[in-house]
Amino acid sequence: MRKFTRIALMAAVVLSAGFAGSGGVPDSAGAEVVLSFDHWYDNAAIGRALRDLQAAYPGLITVQSIGKSVLGRDIWAAVLNNPKTGPAERKPGYYIDGNIHGNEIQGGEVALYTVYYLLKNHGRTEFATDVLDRVAFYVVPSMNPDSRDFYIHEASDPNSPRTGWIPRDDDRDGVADEDGPEDLNGDGSITTMRKRDPNGRLRAHPDDPRLMIPVKPGQKGEWTLLGEEGIDNDGDGLINEDGPGGYDMNRNFGYNWQPEYVQGGAGPYPFSWPETRAVRDFILAHPNIMGAQSFHNNGGMILRGPGAGNLGDYNPADVRVYDEIGRRGEKILPGYKYIIIAKDLYTVYGGTVDFLYASLGAFTFSNELDLDLVEEIRLQKPENADEEERSRSFFRGLSKEDMILHDQVFMGEHYAPWKPYVHPVYGEIEIGGVKKFGERVPPLFKLAETCHRNAAFVLYHASEMPAVAFEDLSVKTLDGGLFQVDFAVTDAKATPTMSAQAASRKLHRPDRIRIGGPTAELVAVGEMRDRFLNETRAIKPAGQAFDVSGGIPGRGRREFRILVKGSGPLTLSYDSLKGGSAETTVELKLAAGGGLPFKRASGRA
Amino acid sequence: MNRKPLSGFLGLLVFAAAAFGQAPAGNLGGPFRKPAEAVSALKDLAAGFPAVAALEIIGKSAGGREIPVLRLAGGNPAVKTAPGLRPAVLITAGLDGGHVAGTEAALRLAGKLVDGYVKKDGKITALLDARTVYVAPLLNPDGAEAYFGAVRSGRFVNARPVDEDADGAVDEDGFEDLDKNGAITQMRMKDPEGVFIPDPKEPRLLRPADPAKGEKGIYKVFPEGIDNDGDGEYNEDPPGGVQLNRNYPHDFEYFVKTAGLYPASEPETAALLQFMTDHPQIGLVLAFGLENTILNQKQTGQAKAGSDKVKPIRPIAELIGLDPEKEYTLKEIAEAATTSGIGGGMTITEEMVAGFLGVGPAMEIDKADLPFLEAVQKDYKEVLKAAGKEGLEKHARGAGKGSFGGYVYFQYGVPFFSTDLWQVPEPKKEEPADKLTAEKLKAMTAAQFLALGEEKIAVFLKDSGAPPQFNSRAVMEMVESGKLTTIRMAEMMAQMPPRPGAGSEEHPDAYKLQWADAVWGGRGFTNWTPFKHPQLGDVEIGGFCPHFGLNPPADEADAAIGVHVDFYLKIMDNLPVLEISGIKAEPLGGGVYGLTAYVSNTGRWPTSTAQGRRARTAWPIRITLVLDKSQTLFSGRPAEEIPFLDGGETKKVEWTIRAKPGSRVAVKAWSPRLGAVEKTAVVS
Repeated sequence: MRKFTRIALMAAVVLSAGFAGSGGVPDSAGAEVVLSFDHWYDNAAIGRALRDLQAAYPGLITVQSIGKSVLGRDIWAAVLNNPKTGPAERKPGYYIDGNIHGNEIQGGEVALYTVYYLLKNHGRTEFATDVLDRVAFYVVPSMNPDSRDFYIHEASDPNSPRTGWIPRDDDRDGVADEDGPEDLNGDGSITTMRKRDPNGRLRAHPDDPRLMIPVKPGQKGEWTLLGEEGIDNDGDGLINEDGPGGYDMNRNFGYNWQPEYVQGGAGPYPFSWPETRAVRDFILAHPNIMGAQSFHNNGGMILRGPGAGNLGDYNPADVRVYDEIGRRGEKILPGYKYIIIAKDLYTVYGGTVDFLYASLGAFTFSNELDLDLVEEIRLQKPENADEEERSRSFFRGLSKEDMILHDQVFMGEHYAPWKPYVHPVYGEIEIGGVKKFGERVPPLFKLAETCHRNAAFVLYHASEMPAVAFEDLSVKTLDGGLFQVDFAVTDAKATPTMSAQAASRKLHRPDRIRIGGPTAELVAVGEMRDRFLNETRAIKPAGQAFDVSGGIPGRGRREFRILVKGSGPLTLSYDSLKGGSAETTVELKLAAGGGLPFKRASGRA
Repeated sequence: MNRKPLSGFLGLLVFAAAAFGQAPAGNLGGPFRKPAEAVSALKDLAAGFPAVAALEIIGKSAGGREIPVLRLAGGNPAVKTAPGLRPAVLITAGLDGGHVAGTEAALRLAGKLVDGYVKKDGKITALLDARTVYVAPLLNPDGAEAYFGAVRSGRFVNARPVDEDADGAVDEDGFEDLDKNGAITQMRMKDPEGVFIPDPKEPRLLRPADPAKGEKGIYKVFPEGIDNDGDGEYNEDPPGGVQLNRNYPHDFEYFVKTAGLYPASEPETAALLQFMTDHPQIGLVLAFGLENTILNQKQTGQAKAGSDKVKPIRPIAELIGLDPEKEYTLKEIAEAATTSGIGGGMTITEEMVAGFLGVGPAMEIDKADLPFLEAVQKDYKEVLKAAGKEGLEKHARGAGKGSFGGYVYFQYGVPFFSTDLWQVPEPKKEEPADKLTAEKLKAMTAAQFLALGEEKIAVFLKDSGAPPQFNSRAVMEMVESGKLTTIRMAEMMAQMPPRPGAGSEEHPDAYKLQWADAVWGGRGFTNWTPFKHPQLGDVEIGGFCPHFGLNPPADEADAAIGVHVDFYLKIMDNLPVLEISGIKAEPLGGGVYGLTAYVSNTGRWPTSTAQGRRARTAWPIRITLVLDKSQTLFSGRPAEEIPFLDGGETKKVEWTIRAKPGSRVAVKAWSPRLGAVEKTAVVS
């Protein structure tokens, strides 16, 4: 049995049976919700699944509709937090979205799986318990429910509908959305039309007449490709030139937005559509978001910004954090490549990835889900090593390896053989090609693995959200009722409490350390520069608090020395917008016979 | 407590205040309406003249105030096109909150159009029957409200709370009117770290000390107020807000708090952009604002010019048969891509190519658009001269980063003009009649030059900043011997940078102060008065008052507004006019006819700007042939496109049809910004 199939089968069995549990008493309410990842969830099903989870885990998940799509569907969001370990706002936040492009549906399942996995395993595995205790999650499985539902239920193709559903006059004839594709042969997909043509630029592949390869100079042609299935609805001589919508919501976000002639699909101005506005408002309502993921398809990539080259690369200190997470991601998702959008892929202006990082200071990845399955077949020894026969071209030029995949692996489920059709304009033609679920979305037998591995990557990234703690506290009594309190603040995780981007561009408030106590009074503050020479850098306190400018670096440590007046318990609290919080207490004892240093090990949130 | 000097934006504000001037405290005079009054005025027009005027509230400001747009359209029943579909002009004002004269001008323009229509004025009736005029006079109601407040700070921002100093507290350290004169001015304090000194010629004005001249700074300057949040900064996070005229998507400046978090972040901006998106009929925007883009066409964006040609990236180039080392226009790349078949029969557009190749936005006015822009500038200068208002040119402000004007021209793709109506007049500098200028020098012969004499030549050399070894004796010898000509000297003089300290340098704002003294009875400037500041100790409060110089005084307002309202009405005469000037049907035999439709632009301006075409927001002219059931199209498409027509240009569209003699064909020409025209012809 192929390795991949075995894992998928195991995953399906495990998931559909419910978790057998690896210790701990199963939550009886939780056992009632069983979600399987061997089918597609439309928007209503996503909403139902989330609400079922909310009913089963009422303390841990809150489901809300963050707005309505163009056609009036709810955009579902879930907030996950363990209230027993603190309110969500005081924890680093992790944001996940999927399916901003309507045909890129598997992000919805992956996001749903991530939520499901966390809830199921919180209280059972150390890892899931720790992550959900320390990090608050904000999940929008489907940002584009109108196109999601259309893709699933109506005749579409692997690449569409990508757009939203506000009519757009793509062909500038004064009418909008008047000429989209039609499912002429009623097979549930928009495939391709071709016509026999002795002067065509294509000819049949000698080994498989279903395939077409370009004609060489002097060769006789056989076929002309006519484009997608459809008719000339508006009688203007063009076919399918103005379908529904015609824009790209992942070019509508506010950082480095560019108009349509520079960035196709960007819309008239940033956040001009209800879906992008709803998501923007949801993100801005949770300024604690420190890590993020936007799921797309396909190709097997772990992408980071910048999306465009005109504003330079990300801050090098932040790039180091991205590199660590991204490179580990390549091991969690074998075959996925960690690359930079502008440099290694193409230019994207106004995407979610840049808005979340550059404008808000959150470390954001975008995974292009699912490797191209045909590559596995290509990696095997080729039956016929003739380079030319493999003719991989940009238009839907299928190769022999593709047909092995469709014929023998998918067993014909996703391929429509060429069949004759009489077209009102073109006359006798043939219609056929890859059907809508045959590319870019995984076959259902692979879906669970896509879900689990990408959830694992996301939860790994979330587990590397900052974890601040006070360490190495010591108190020394000085003259005049003054105490010297030394302490360190550490961040045990890869992500700093404040990104270098946020620090350098002043995107949000700095971290703050505050003292508290019945009689405590902050007199002076310094950051230790050299402990051995007792050198401190002065920090100006503001009342009973002071700023930690730049925050604590990932896996970093900063040391402080403060002078305080007062006596009794002294609380130190660390308050970071995106880096979480921590608190500890020391005792200030007015010495009866000289001050002995009092050491306190550590305190954490 | 530390005393910190101006920082960041506040520093800019003070300099901006010093550079542009501010209005006097207290009663400014002037017939300028408050926001509520402006809205009422529009409501009155709509209620009183529903045949021609209709009011729409397109949104609300961050502070919850209404943003009104008045639609003016004639009700002539003979005009078949609905008002919402006629070619349109948009008049805007008030984006810079304190420029209330602009709002007034827009209101008067609306009033003039309504009045003219009701009184059946020929020109105005023709205008409003053919075109719809939208008037949006109050685009920053929060900023305008602040102008009329009891204490004015001169800020243009809307009411959105913005944490300008990124300290987590919002709007926590605003200005205080310590001397209770209704105006936020400046405080100056003697400090060893001070950098400012009083200007030697006009001691009320401050300028930075120049160490090169041996000057030592005396004063630190702060905006008027106390340090409310005890962080050592003064008034660094006042109430509000975003400067709306920096919030537009072209050349937007990121990471500047008062420009907004992202383009169109503000409800006012989004409302206007959505309105303009929903009304693609708008073919011209005329603004009243602090910019005078007719006089100053400088684009203050990044200097990089948008290139017409780009290199296709290697993998693409090889696929479509182009040379990756050569540069091609987007059109050439798109054509090559389409014919190569990589799109599978799909047409590859320039838009797709630009998007895929990451070609950037245009940053300079398109050369092809300069002629008609310069023609408007020429007209305008003549109008100003006739009205005695040439002074507007010297300090005319160009469009800035993220400005509305930049968006309209570069992204929305239509002509944009803004006028500021009035500036503090600068008195003409009296040049001593015998002062030697580069021009005079060029025209002199060597003998004439030498005849000036050693003394005059010495003064001339000193004034023009000649290096010390060029003393008058040496120069005279060189001219005598022919080593140096007067022409060469004039060239060298033109290239010299002005010598620091040379001549009598006036403070750049001195003329404003002189005007405030002479014409405005001292209002406009608060003289420096000692004050005991609770935190800083001994300070003096003074400086230009907020909004000084932005709006004309009451007795000049009518003239300034009148000239510009009339000029804007005149500009509209230039708009393109679409016509089908003729249809020819040529019999080819056998019931086959060659049809030619002649489509003309009888207006002065082209039907679209070159930038609009580059931005793909300009519309081509769509020519549709309407046949009846008995007729068949043989060649040509039922709908053809003409990309654009220059002013006065005619182009033809041809079809071949089979038809019965005596049958009729119709040809329609349309684009949203030009409207629709139709003509029929008999086939014979």
